[in-house]
Amino acid sequence: MAAASVYSSPGFDFSNQIRNNFLTDKGLPLPKATSTGTTIVGCLFDDGIILGADTRATEGPIVADKNCEKIHYITESIRCCGAGTAADTEFVTNLISSNMEMHALTHGRKPRVVTAMTMLKQYLFRYQGHVGAALVLGGVDSTGPNLFTIHPHGSTDKLPYVTMGSGSLAAMAVFESGWKANMSREDALQLVKDAIAAGIFNDLGSGSNIDACIITANHTEMLRNVEMPNERAKKEKSYGFRRGTTDWKSEVIRKLVLSEEVTPIGGGDAMDTS
Amino acid sequence: MASTGGGAYSYSLTVFSPSGKLVQIEHALAAVSQGTTSLGIKGAPYAVRNDIRCSLIYSASNGIVIATEKKSSSILIDDSMLEKVAVVCPNIGIVYSGMGPDFRVLITRARKSAQAYWKMYGEYPPTRVLTQEIANVMQQATQSGGVRPYGVSLLVAGWDITRGQQLFQVDPSGSFWAWKASAIGKNMVNAKTFLEKRYNDDISLEDAIHTALLTLKEGFEGQMTEKTIEIGVISVPTAAELEEAPMSAAIGRPKPTFRKLTEEEIRDYLAL
Amino acid sequence: MSIMQYNGGSVIAMVGKDCVAIASDLRLGNQALGISANFQKIFPVSDRIYLGLPGLATDVTTLVNMYTIKEEREIEPETFAHLVSSTLYERRFGPYFIEPVMAGLSKTPSGSFKPFIAATDLIGCLNFAKDFVVAGTASEKLFGVAEGLWEPDMEPEDLFETISQTMLNAVDRDAYSGWGVVVHVM
Repeated sequence: MAAASVYSSPGFDFSNQIRNNFLTDKGLPLPKATSTGTTIVGCLFDDGIILGADTRATEGPIVADKNCEKIHYITESIRCCGAGTAADTEFVTNLISSNMEMHALTHGRKPRVVTAMTMLKQYLFRYQGHVGAALVLGGVDSTGPNLFTIHPHGSTDKLPYVTMGSGSLAAMAVFESGWKANMSREDALQLVKDAIAAGIFNDLGSGSNIDACIITANHTEMLRNVEMPNERAKKEKSYGFRRGTTDWKSEVIRKLVLSEEVTPIGGGDAMDTS
Repeated sequence: MASTGGGAYSYSLTVFSPSGKLVQIEHALAAVSQGTTSLGIKGAPYAVRNDIRCSLIYSASNGIVIATEKKSSSILIDDSMLEKVAVVCPNIGIVYSGMGPDFRVLITRARKSAQAYWKMYGEYPPTRVLTQEIANVMQQATQSGGVRPYGVSLLVAGWDITRGQQLFQVDPSGSFWAWKASAIGKNMVNAKTFLEKRYNDDISLEDAIHTALLTLKEGFEGQMTEKTIEIGVISVPTAAELEEAPMSAAIGRPKPTFRKLTEEEIRDYLAL
Repeated sequence: MSIMQYNGGSVIAMVGKDCVAIASDLRLGNQALGISANFQKIFPVSDRIYLGLPGLATDVTTLVNMYTIKEEREIEPETFAHLVSSTLYERRFGPYFIEPVMAGLSKTPSGSFKPFIAATDLIGCLNFAKDFVVAGTASEKLFGVAEGLWEPDMEPEDLFETISQTMLNAVDRDAYSGWGVVVHVM
């Protein structure tokens, strides 16, 4: 479409690549993007699915975000945990969420978890692993509960309990010893919490709090920070500086606009369409 | 023959007639006025923002109704497949009069447009922005070679946080206008006269729905039932509802403000 | 060396009680060589949004020229943050070398204002922290100092002292940042 639109065309823009490759050749490597070292898990229970995640985002050895959200919204009854390059997990789940809403509107029914899984794997396969998203996708649809893992290259698994990310081994150890078929909601939630806690305390890439999401046929419950095992102890004394501590050279004060008036325009005049 | 309309100017769409008309656009409007009647009514006049510290003024049962007659040419048609009031995104709905296939194309464009906006800004487009996007698509068809204008007029009803509820009409020329109430299609002249008489600035959503039904009834061919009309409504969220809406797209989506009434609901309104 | 250190510079944003602050140093360098002591890295987007762009200076200039909002309404900080994020992610495989930091006041449905801060990495991963966000060559030091000094519900005057001291002390231990600090308090 030639007309100026409020947003740009879809797809990636590669116009900086020549410059950036040149810089890399000159010995200036690409900086690291934020990654989610991450422990993410999902498991089936008697009437649905529980997803779990830690909340740490890292940039190399630095904790970039102590309480980020790794359980992403796909549809009301489908959610997706993301590990790997943080921006990729965020944008790939957003894209698929948008496609799923489009799918729902054009077909007039609720889209299934396999639909999201297929969209995700086809997208990730197309980028041959360069879109670094490792996902745990879970939800309940007309076919019942579904749980998948999707790897960055596009391969998928369908299993009753799954883990992903750098803390996946610690979490899987908990699942392997504790998971049983047809667990109650309470038991399954406790198992998910234990699995994430195992990641938080035994894997440096994971940390801070536990998020969980319980999805059943007619209800989705997002439990943000359901456990907070790493809360900072309250500071006993304040480090507040006395006002005037900082010496400054100049000060400029700008007033914000205080009032605004919206005058309705146009009336009942007939439209000029000639 | 061409000479009956605008002479030689009636075929080439991109050429003005000496009197300054693009005749194909007028023909497109004629196609619209053969379509079944649709209408829209907006409650409370404007979302007034009189001070930057004081937000939109909300009144209870505020909103917009859009409604249309749904006519199938044969009783053998499975009319559950017909859809004339369509959801674009959770805060915007559209109804049309005119050519169904053209509307189908436009609604797909509108939905894609809304999703593209959401991916860029993390929120759904304001009504005006979405309307302008559709209007641009329609305008393009009046200025490009080898195409014809879209044979539809649209009523776009939407709600957004900055401007509140808004009702727009888009015509085949690509012009669009905000209305308090409007009608398009076969019976539009009578319907508009009727609306002018009935409309007042503080009409509630419930009253607007009833007025919409009464207006449709004027000049309705056949029986008006839940099968032969479609209704969509914008319900303005209360301040409390807005406060508790999820702040982050990762957690969830805001509650839809536009929805289509179910057949049961329409039946209840008709019974009153 | 990383390209992120080529010109040097750091930005921090902090939340206070009904107020926010964003601060940056003023250095522009060519690796170890100082070029300017008055290089602005913080730009007003609207009355209520300020955007800090530490990173490669050429990309800072490019991006500042890019953010023209094509809408008739004043953009909300959250919306702007998403716009920054999606613009950067569009160049996922050929990024701009900047790490934006945003501070602003967002309007609540009831009409009052709420402090808002956010930062993204160079490919647009949003970080909505509740306390402070940092970026630039002194980011590790800023993280450390801010983690020690930040307190909830600071008044604008106290927020100014805390963000200034955080910045000054972190920048003192970073060879690539310095030469003065500018602080914006909203």
